[in-house]
Amino acid sequence: MNTFLTALFNGTSRGAIFALVALGLVLVWRGSGVVNFAQMGQAMFTTYIASTLIAHGNSYWIAFLVALIAGGLLGGVVDILVMRPLHKHSGSSLNATIPIIASLGILGVLQAAAGMFWAGEERGFPTPVNSLGLSISGKVMPFTEFDLFVVGVVILVLIATTIFFTRTGVGLAMRASALNEEVARLSGIKVHYMKVLSWIISGAASSLAGLLVTPASNLSPNSLDLILIIGFTSAVVGGLDSLPGAVIGGFALGLVISFVNVYLTPENVFLAILLTLVLVLIVRPQGIMGSKVGRRV
Amino acid sequence: MFNHIGLRNALKTLIFGLLIVVLGDIFGAYNQSQLTVALIYFVGILSITLLTGLSGQISLGQSALMAVGGYSTALLMVKSAVAVWWAIPISIVLSLIAGWMLGITAARLSGPYLAGTTLVMALAIPSLAIRFESVFAGDVGLQINWPEPPKFMQTIFGGLTIEKWQLFATLVWVLIALFLIMNIFHSRTGRAWKAIRDNEVAASLAGIHVQRVKVFVFVISSGFAGLAGALYGLRGIVGPSVYPISLSLSLLTGAVLGGIRNIVGAGIGAIIVVFLPDWINKVTGSFELPQKITDYLPALVGSLLLILTVVFSPNGAAGSIFGKNAKKK
Repeated sequence: MNTFLTALFNGTSRGAIFALVALGLVLVWRGSGVVNFAQMGQAMFTTYIASTLIAHGNSYWIAFLVALIAGGLLGGVVDILVMRPLHKHSGSSLNATIPIIASLGILGVLQAAAGMFWAGEERGFPTPVNSLGLSISGKVMPFTEFDLFVVGVVILVLIATTIFFTRTGVGLAMRASALNEEVARLSGIKVHYMKVLSWIISGAASSLAGLLVTPASNLSPNSLDLILIIGFTSAVVGGLDSLPGAVIGGFALGLVISFVNVYLTPENVFLAILLTLVLVLIVRPQGIMGSKVGRRV
Repeated sequence: MFNHIGLRNALKTLIFGLLIVVLGDIFGAYNQSQLTVALIYFVGILSITLLTGLSGQISLGQSALMAVGGYSTALLMVKSAVAVWWAIPISIVLSLIAGWMLGITAARLSGPYLAGTTLVMALAIPSLAIRFESVFAGDVGLQINWPEPPKFMQTIFGGLTIEKWQLFATLVWVLIALFLIMNIFHSRTGRAWKAIRDNEVAASLAGIHVQRVKVFVFVISSGFAGLAGALYGLRGIVGPSVYPISLSLSLLTGAVLGGIRNIVGAGIGAIIVVFLPDWINKVTGSFELPQKITDYLPALVGSLLLILTVVFSPNGAAGSIFGKNAKKK
């Protein structure tokens, strides 16, 4: 029973992080029709920035805030410097593949730059709260304070995102330009700004994911590659064009991975991810929440 | 079959082969083995050229297919004592089968779905080696090598070193692959692939069975990737670390830098990807740079070049040189 609870809580806390990653991917996909394979490279970079700040004696929270801002800026810069100039090639027959290749190039640049700045050394990353098993009235619980912190932060972000997209004018404009660029432009929405905004929000969200996921492993230029792959799978499971789907997919993947880890062996995790992905693509390619019409396959 | 195009392609292949033999004779041992790697990358990149450049599908899983080729060859040679000249063709067939299985899933997908799925595959398949350690020998990998060169080769080339022999043995297979690919490019099949790349709806209206052809492209491309993987493994070791995801990314980088639409581009790409670190070392050798800079400089330059290429000249180096031809296609 205890193993089961450990797997359940661990899966939920990891799933919350994957949900953030998937959210970042879906935001950019809806906003500008690009799956950003550099997303966790950006997060890796900003986590290194935070780690350096902490190493120089700043508090965790200052580093946290700086990393989020840096993540947002980096996202915006990627869109303005690389993705927007690509539009002039639209109409070319390699339309769908070029942004993917570009994002892989960005990933390479970020990883190499991180290696140069920080010598590619593996380093740990602190947590703001205790990461030992929480004990309530003498009994050690199967989750930690940090797990609670992660889930709490992610839920806050999800609520904020929901409010942003359903209750604010900018959120509405972003949804409009994601739905139909031409019509949105005709209604006076500055579609360019909306695109940059989606990259900024996505950058900040993935930066947050990087900060939350790194304490569990070590930080190195490649350490978040796996998280990107899991996040992508989560996004596809949930439906690449659905924000709620991304969240559901993230939690689902977190649980799948956690249970495979506990009940089978860690070596099976990659296979489990591949199997989940292929299964979803065959049975329900539009994902759990995705709309069939909106699917750009 | 052997019309004038076939003959011309055979001639081009022979000239290319001679060029490599001459280069191999001039180069020192280190550059000989680099040239071998470049030849293998050439075939690997061509498998991407066929898939992405000709038919418009993207795959980040070429390293996994190379692993299929490499592991099949290694297992056949180590466990079943099959001679290398048989092991390679059998592994190509096995890679074709793997490509077919991948293709039936992949033909339903496109763009980011395809890229992501093949990326996950590139991660998952090498992990099988660790999962089934008793068969695939885990992280350590399997050791394979080209057998001793035949006597007559020794007498012709007088004291054949290991590097040179590896280069020539690899070259034979690369030439066969090159000849086949050149013919695909100019064939009816190749034109059907281009039609799908340029406009799927128009292609299907013209009577091309889009789904079937897409699977077929995957199968063919996987065969070449499998060959590249087998040759790559024959340099000494077949293991998960020989076929990492970064191998897929290097191949894709090479394909895009050189020019994803033609064979010359693939060659240019292979040369750039393999020799770029050496060139950079030569340039930076005169400056006293800290090691962490020199370690990551080739990756940084390669990735920057990749971004610049897609932004400014998506047809790559060969595309800008043969600009007019590229447009005609």
